[in-house]
Amino acid sequence: MNSYQRVMNTLAGQPVDRLPVFAVLGAYGAKLTGVDLRTLLSDASAYVAGQRALQQEFGFDQVMSAFDYSVLAEAFGGQIAWFPNQIPNIKRPAARQAADALSLPLPDVLHTARLPVILEINRRLAGIYKEQVPIISVLPGPCIFPALLVGIEQWMEAILFEPELAQKLLDYTAPFFVSWANALLDAGADCLAFTEGMATSAVAPRKIFAEQCLPHLRSVFSQIHGPKIVSSTGGCMNHVLDLLSGLDGVVGVIAGSKDDLCEARQLLGPDLTIVGNLDNLTLPAVSADEVYNLSLSLFRAAGPSGHYILANAGADVPQATPPENLRAMRAAGAAYSAEIGCRA
Amino acid sequence: MSFQTWGEGLLATMINSDRSGAAELIDRALAAGIPPRVVIAEILDPAIVRLGCLWNERAMSLAQNYVASKIAEDTLLRCVPVRTSDTVYKGALVIGNIEDDFHGLGRKTVGLFLCAAGWDVYDLGNDVLAEDLLEKALEVNACVIGCSAMMQTTALNIRKLRDLIDGRGLKERIKLGVGGAVFNWRPDLVAEVGGDGTARNAVGADELFTRLQAQVRGYGKP
Repeated sequence: MNSYQRVMNTLAGQPVDRLPVFAVLGAYGAKLTGVDLRTLLSDASAYVAGQRALQQEFGFDQVMSAFDYSVLAEAFGGQIAWFPNQIPNIKRPAARQAADALSLPLPDVLHTARLPVILEINRRLAGIYKEQVPIISVLPGPCIFPALLVGIEQWMEAILFEPELAQKLLDYTAPFFVSWANALLDAGADCLAFTEGMATSAVAPRKIFAEQCLPHLRSVFSQIHGPKIVSSTGGCMNHVLDLLSGLDGVVGVIAGSKDDLCEARQLLGPDLTIVGNLDNLTLPAVSADEVYNLSLSLFRAAGPSGHYILANAGADVPQATPPENLRAMRAAGAAYSAEIGCRA
Repeated sequence: MSFQTWGEGLLATMINSDRSGAAELIDRALAAGIPPRVVIAEILDPAIVRLGCLWNERAMSLAQNYVASKIAEDTLLRCVPVRTSDTVYKGALVIGNIEDDFHGLGRKTVGLFLCAAGWDVYDLGNDVLAEDLLEKALEVNACVIGCSAMMQTTALNIRKLRDLIDGRGLKERIKLGVGGAVFNWRPDLVAEVGGDGTARNAVGADELFTRLQAQVRGYGKP
């Protein structure tokens, strides 16, 4: 059973030879291949070389396109700041006010800025890993997406005090968002992971999510033709989990690092896959033994009900995480699978 | 009703994102004869401190915090003293959020209070280069620059202004006041970025700038 079959069987609730293990490793590839992050995130061949190195080194059950949302901000005209040891950030958003964003030209997904690089990454990953290792593309949730264009402060201002303007901006960005998501799938992604910041309790309470975000999420997801995973980007999400089942194409969620997985299962129902939820900040800060024990405890909590994939809960695994800590995640997966007598 | 009770009431409106309720509460406090400066120092400030604790405990969402910041802004604006014809003119000063910092709420409030206190305030806005702040100060003959930043990463850009002032031999001619949330959390950052002083809030800004101006005048300039 290869990683692709293992993950697909997990999503379908079918038997597996061992429980799958994911790790969000994009920038970490640069550490293995020795390129700088700017090269890694601007050059498809450099990025794919990083993914190959990660596969060879750790053998996690997924490869992924870059977890770099500056690509999207840049495509709309935002200014990017590059850093030696972290993913680039938005220095200046494309629009200063939410209303101004309504006149931003929508990027061409095939030609604007670094968008074609990401699509080329997916094509190359598909050339190597199609039906061998699942290819996952990460993108922001459609309801937090406008924050990339105007900054989080302006977006919160619109959501809270100018809901009609917020809705207009969601509607305005939706065609690009849908095109981008479908382009990622067409280029080779097997699954899309949406980090929907508005679904995190740290950002918005349930009422705002349910009333202002969920209808948009439902509408946008119905236009995207592939399987989807909803992520909290590491923050707590159990307060809205019960609202997510039934969304078009959603096959799972990535639980927040503080979310209780047993509670998450009750809220989500039996059929959706839970991915998670090792804390990103913990991974570089503890020993490999501790990562092993934390991983094993998560398997024991979430594994028995099936539909479970161990993973970290946030964005890219911090660069400072020792390789042995990543191997400990895999080792815990093997140990737990042996413990429960996995046989495909 | 004690200041603590007023403060708890204001905090409750912040937690419940009740902006109109907060406005009513502040109006009642002012109508009860509590001076605006006391409203800020004894009612608003403690509520903000408690809010910060709740944020650190992850008991508040960003949305709640954002509405709370609007309530704080509303409250400050209601309490800005009025500049009268007998207000003593204190001189010119320049304020701005340093390069890469876009959190202008605190700076704008400080500007209002300083203006009411008799200063000619030249507010250069958000994301201002150190060079621009200094050039403006020289142009309007200001002896103090007030530089604001919300986060540590952007606060460190203030160091560029410090180096620029020192590099041009203006250390005794132009003083550097720094402010923003991060300086309240990390007072040691004031020295780290080369600030000559800070104030916890808008109410304390006039005192800080007056003190820094006096230091400059102690050297006989401008």
